[in-house]
Amino acid sequence: MERTIERLLFFAAITSAGLTLLIFIFMVILGLPLIGEGRFFSLLTTPWSPSHDLFGIYPMIIGTLSIAFLAMRFSVPLSMGCSVLVTLYADSTLSRFLSGLIRLMTGIPTVIYGFTGIFLIVPFIRQIFQNGSGMCILSASLLLAVLIAPTMILFFTDSFNRVPAAYTLAVDALGGTRAQKLFYVILPHSIRGILSGMVLALGRAMGDTLIALMIAGNAVAVPTSVLDSARTLTAHIALVIAADFDSIEFRTLFACGIVLYGFTTLLILIIRGLSTEKEEVP
Amino acid sequence: MKAATIEKLTAVYAWTCGILLVGIVGGILGYLFYRGWPGMNLSLIFGDTSPVAAILLRQPVFNGLFPAIFGTLVLVLLSVSIAVPLGIAAGIYLAEYAGQKARHIFGMIFDILAGIPSIVIGLFGFSVAVFLHHHFSDRIQPCLLISALSLAFLVLPYLIRTTQVAIEDIPRHTRITGTALGASPLQNIIHVLIPHSLGGILSGVVLAVGRCAEDTAVIMLTGVVASAGVPRSLMGGYEALPFYIYYISAQYTNEAELTSGFSACIILILLCASLFGMAFWIRRRISARLLYRH
Amino acid sequence: MKKSRHQIWQPVLITLIYTGILLIPVTLFADTATPLSTFKGMAGTIKIAGGTAHIPVMKEAAQRIMKTNPDFRITIAGGGSGVGIKQVGEGLVDIGNSGRTPTDEEIAKYGLKLFKWAVDGVGIVVNPENPVKKLNRQQVKDIFAGKITNWKALSGPDRPINVYTRDESSGTRSVFWKKALEKGDIIGSANFVVSNGAMKTAIANDPYAIGYVSVGHIDKSVSPVAFDGVIPTFETVKNGTYPIARGIYSNTKGEPGPLTRQFIDYLFTPEGQAMIAQKGFVPVR
Repeated sequence: MERTIERLLFFAAITSAGLTLLIFIFMVILGLPLIGEGRFFSLLTTPWSPSHDLFGIYPMIIGTLSIAFLAMRFSVPLSMGCSVLVTLYADSTLSRFLSGLIRLMTGIPTVIYGFTGIFLIVPFIRQIFQNGSGMCILSASLLLAVLIAPTMILFFTDSFNRVPAAYTLAVDALGGTRAQKLFYVILPHSIRGILSGMVLALGRAMGDTLIALMIAGNAVAVPTSVLDSARTLTAHIALVIAADFDSIEFRTLFACGIVLYGFTTLLILIIRGLSTEKEEVP
Repeated sequence: MKAATIEKLTAVYAWTCGILLVGIVGGILGYLFYRGWPGMNLSLIFGDTSPVAAILLRQPVFNGLFPAIFGTLVLVLLSVSIAVPLGIAAGIYLAEYAGQKARHIFGMIFDILAGIPSIVIGLFGFSVAVFLHHHFSDRIQPCLLISALSLAFLVLPYLIRTTQVAIEDIPRHTRITGTALGASPLQNIIHVLIPHSLGGILSGVVLAVGRCAEDTAVIMLTGVVASAGVPRSLMGGYEALPFYIYYISAQYTNEAELTSGFSACIILILLCASLFGMAFWIRRRISARLLYRH
Repeated sequence: MKKSRHQIWQPVLITLIYTGILLIPVTLFADTATPLSTFKGMAGTIKIAGGTAHIPVMKEAAQRIMKTNPDFRITIAGGGSGVGIKQVGEGLVDIGNSGRTPTDEEIAKYGLKLFKWAVDGVGIVVNPENPVKKLNRQQVKDIFAGKITNWKALSGPDRPINVYTRDESSGTRSVFWKKALEKGDIIGSANFVVSNGAMKTAIANDPYAIGYVSVGHIDKSVSPVAFDGVIPTFETVKNGTYPIARGIYSNTKGEPGPLTRQFIDYLFTPEGQAMIAQKGFVPVR
């Protein structure tokens, strides 16, 4: 009976792991005709224009990277500031309240951000910049930054709290200010945690579909400014899924899938590399 | 610069960020409630049909959110019932039976699964449906079942991880007490580990439920449609609340529909927030109770 | 340790029971149908997908039919004309709507049967605040190709023109591209929207937008633009003076089954045609 249960549990674990690999395998098999014709790599660098027989996903790669990185540029300082507030500058009731609030924020679905973004952010951006339709990289990045902030804040706060009390109390004993504690003790000690949090948030930003789909405009040209309409790999999948599934158009979706899978795997490996280097000694 | 000035600047920066974030989210939620509250009434959900007839499934509901809400509930129920046994089992395996190396490899693979964008999982679900349609049976197509399976893949890594962490968080002496007294690993799991980690496991389940309820990308590709009534068959189309919101945002035909979109947002947020709050509450209540039992 | 037969079969048995339990919801919910004949297998259900222009008519017809026959279930999805043709051809839906005539290859490949129940136009629209109300063909081509980029070149406000277009699967797009643009280019930086409804919403929300939409969908939220002197309205499409017109089709794979037939027949009844006219399309009868 013992062995049976162990076997069952192992079976569960293996199935789950197998699924992960299966997803990748499916992408590759269905995208195989592309790879076979040697077109896969050219797909990564050419533009998208089906009427001219061009099926490259390069503009989408640029779209994904621009929106994700711009969102990070907005979100990282914001999240850092909030974590500092929660761990250092707020008193304990406010701190707990904020933590709870932020935890609740992680539950807000992306479609909600997209929906309000259309009616709040898009006209706002259009008015301010007097250029373009408001559906652009900038609008999408702003919303995406708000989406990924709560997760990053929780991560940062967690890392800050892991700093051994011995060190933080030592700073207090020496008469240091909170800012000094932050810059000289907490930050250096939590670098790994901070980086992991950032990489995780980046992964989330690159993988988000709804915000980009509803707000970034979905144009097919390579964007040249943050006020340009752009299409991400994820939005592209959502848009083209309607096409003929024996066509080259459709198969490019698997190229998108492979690229996304590859990006996120890379990010995950980076995180794991960062976190296994040194174990905390309590 | 003087230490005092740096201290002041840092404080100002931290407070600004905090106020900014809370302000932004408060603004978004406030706007939603402002636009959506006027539309919150029974006819939002049931259209012209009487609520009793609609709930008993005797009459179809048009122009109401009931099919979408029902669809989301059925979908969530299905996907969670597939994912929970698998996820908890795998989590227990990793926490109790796996060796160091296995734990490392599985951990990496599940992290990758957790990181896969939801649309890629949707794409996978869709391709499986198409593959089966061509090679096995003509009746298989993107439908409720395929969506539920895909959503199960989506939340699986979270379930595995929360179960694993919940068990590993049990203090070492408690974990080995059972086996030290002569119980088999299985008896240890059933009588000691699971009761102690129940809080964590349950909150993981509730979080998975929340994740399934709010996801749009996966269901968009695997079978949700704009108009289908209440789901009657596993192999058929269905409606869902997040998809309704997405659909309305792009294609509302009049003010009333737009308001209903905002109201749907309110319903969805309330749903997710309450699931979240419940997860948190379960965690705290169950662990506290167990802790103080002896 | 040597495994007895007992120990090998136990896990297998337990796995089977586990899977069996999972399948109980399947049997509770599944259609009581056989995969044999196409129409019997879908007893009581009609699946419709395809052109987004058709959706208001489909929804109204579905509502009427379902009110009088509560056992009928009609599911409606969008996706565009390309999707409609493809899905009906693959047997995934019963009716595939298209806003363009299916090509000969498509008809041959899937064995499609066409039912044209209305004629519709594709009109160029701008935001109601926009003073520009008429354009000639060359101007239209230049705007969509990106050669004219500011409204002031057309005596409008001094603002860049925001072009909106549809995805490749769209019948509305393909008709517009062929008949209005004469297969000219559409600028790569145009915003993409996924349906007629979405196009309307986008134009209504952006004062400097221009796009194209089914004439049946045009209402007060957007402003039609005269094309070579002809305003796209129900009347001009009906009497043929508006050149950018297309048939509205519902296609089936081979002969439609009895339920599907019943649905399609309804569209051709006087009551059905009146409903179609009321939705803004020109009925064929």
